[in-house]
Amino acid sequence: MTSAIALSSISKTFAADAVPALNGVNLDVLPGTCTAILGPSGSGKSTILRIIAGLEDPSGGGVFVNGVDMTSVLPENRRIGMVFQRPLLFPHLSVIDNVAFADRAAGLSKAEARRNALRFLDMVQLEEFASRPIRSLSGGQEQRVAVARVLAARPAILLLDEPFSALDAALRDDMHQLLADIRASLSPTVLLVTHDRDEAAAVADRIAVVEGGQLLQHDTVDRIYHRPSCRAVARLMGGRNFVDGVAHDGAHHSAVGRVTVDENIPEGPGALVVRQEAIAVATASPSRSLAADEFAGVVSAVQRNGARRSIVIGVDEIDIHAELPPGVNLPVGAPVVFTLPRESVSVVAR
Amino acid sequence: MSISTRGIVPSPNPPENLRLPGDPGRPLTLSRGVGRTARISGTLIAALWFTVPLLPLAFWSFADRWSFPSPVPTSWGLSGTMSALQQGGLSAFLHSLALGLAVAIIATPLGAVAARALSNGWAPFPRILTALLFAPVVLPPFAAAFGVNVLLLRAYVPPLVGLVLVLVVIAIPYTTFSMRVAYAAHDTRYEEEARTLGASKWQVLWTIQVPLLTPALARSAFLAFLVGWSDYLVTVIVGGGQVITLPLVTASAAAGTGNDAAVAILSLAAIIPPIVLLALLARSGRQHRGDRS
Repeated sequence: MTSAIALSSISKTFAADAVPALNGVNLDVLPGTCTAILGPSGSGKSTILRIIAGLEDPSGGGVFVNGVDMTSVLPENRRIGMVFQRPLLFPHLSVIDNVAFADRAAGLSKAEARRNALRFLDMVQLEEFASRPIRSLSGGQEQRVAVARVLAARPAILLLDEPFSALDAALRDDMHQLLADIRASLSPTVLLVTHDRDEAAAVADRIAVVEGGQLLQHDTVDRIYHRPSCRAVARLMGGRNFVDGVAHDGAHHSAVGRVTVDENIPEGPGALVVRQEAIAVATASPSRSLAADEFAGVVSAVQRNGARRSIVIGVDEIDIHAELPPGVNLPVGAPVVFTLPRESVSVVAR
Repeated sequence: MSISTRGIVPSPNPPENLRLPGDPGRPLTLSRGVGRTARISGTLIAALWFTVPLLPLAFWSFADRWSFPSPVPTSWGLSGTMSALQQGGLSAFLHSLALGLAVAIIATPLGAVAARALSNGWAPFPRILTALLFAPVVLPPFAAAFGVNVLLLRAYVPPLVGLVLVLVVIAIPYTTFSMRVAYAAHDTRYEEEARTLGASKWQVLWTIQVPLLTPALARSAFLAFLVGWSDYLVTVIVGGGQVITLPLVTASAAAGTGNDAAVAILSLAAIIPPIVLLALLARSGRQHRGDRS
């Protein structure tokens, strides 16, 4: 299947900066999917979106949309819609004229453009706001109008540059639902930039992790969480366990013990990575001996983490971070046993 | 985004004289007695400062005779108006209006282009360019006008074209500065958004950039208009006597004796267009702020 978006060795260096903002980024996004570009501030994720939209020229490499080279095509001719962090509604136009803007630019009459705009305003449940001025809208409503406006341009690809980050949690959930509805009804290819891994996991099929202008990993949400390609990806996805050791014979060997790993791992020094929420913890019983996949330790710290508690288990100078089920608490100093599920354990280079 | 205060229940009996650090102890939105009086007095004094000199002008405009020490004209009439019209006041008024508008129409877009280039870093050697643009403000007007006139004569530039050209050059620093301030506050992402919605560069210019910058463009045009409207020196030197404007007629009348009434009505006529434009500018600015608030 031809990729809806294909970035080929994209690099970008801004005149004022010595360090490139992007360095050899390759990315394939399949049609109709939603991919989240995740990374810290200044990692280059917004630059990727701006290059795809045609708002920045890459210093090297090419942008292909449905197999067609778009690298030198003007933004207005790409049929790629973009929603920014700020809604950027045109303040001199009413709500409906904002949504009708794309059709007016395409040469449609005002009446026809407004008729079409009403359909898209209805899609974001703001039809009754059509004749209102922009200043009468709340932050969430403004972002909905911005989404309706970009949809009214009938883009083949929808680029979302942290569009929900300025909204509160409840509004953000509403917008996530709206995005799911749009995907169900229009099936656009969506590329979403975010620095929020929870948002990325909530709305995207795949996640592309970017740091320092490089694409570190592009994979399904589950694999990004449980099979990070490197320490940086694991850290960006909130992973807290990195146990240095040596990998051989399909297992990782460290002070914690021998941990069998499901996937083929390169032999040699490597860090064992396991999600803290994947670790199963139980109180140790002196009468019961450890099973082959069980490890013993002592609780060295407890911290409340929302409805759950996070604990640190000390094992021979090594700290293992784990999360307890809701309502369960363990005191500091309690001996525990824990298991590292094979499907959630991987080894990355040190 | 709004902040809800519904969940905040005020204390039924707030302790008196409770003052937190940084609390001035009174609502910030209320005017203080002394401050309010000073503000109103200041406004009144400023208003008097500008209007009092206009009062004798208005009296003289409709006076046939005003003998000293009478506080008001001793004989009212329209002889001053008739005299001003006979001296070519009406055609001079129209010439000045045309000159002001021509300078505004040419200098405003040029200033906007220069300001945009300087604000976005598109212009090469921005410091040198800024110094060149602002040179007409720094140079002594007579020296600049005289020097330019020699050049224009050698280049066979018609006096009227030369006059507009020189006044445009004098107006550009004002329009550039005014537009540069506006561009500094202008968010170009509106334009990027419009481009991704399918608008060409020209469509973006006319449907996004110009409407968003209308108040600033109006301010720039007003400043440029004033340059053309009130000019005397360049009109005399470069215009070569071919263009008779209101300042020229007024100065000529003022140079003679017994023309006080004509000078007064000509001076009054010189004030009206800027005041009308200023009022329109203030009104459009208020409307624009209202739209965007």
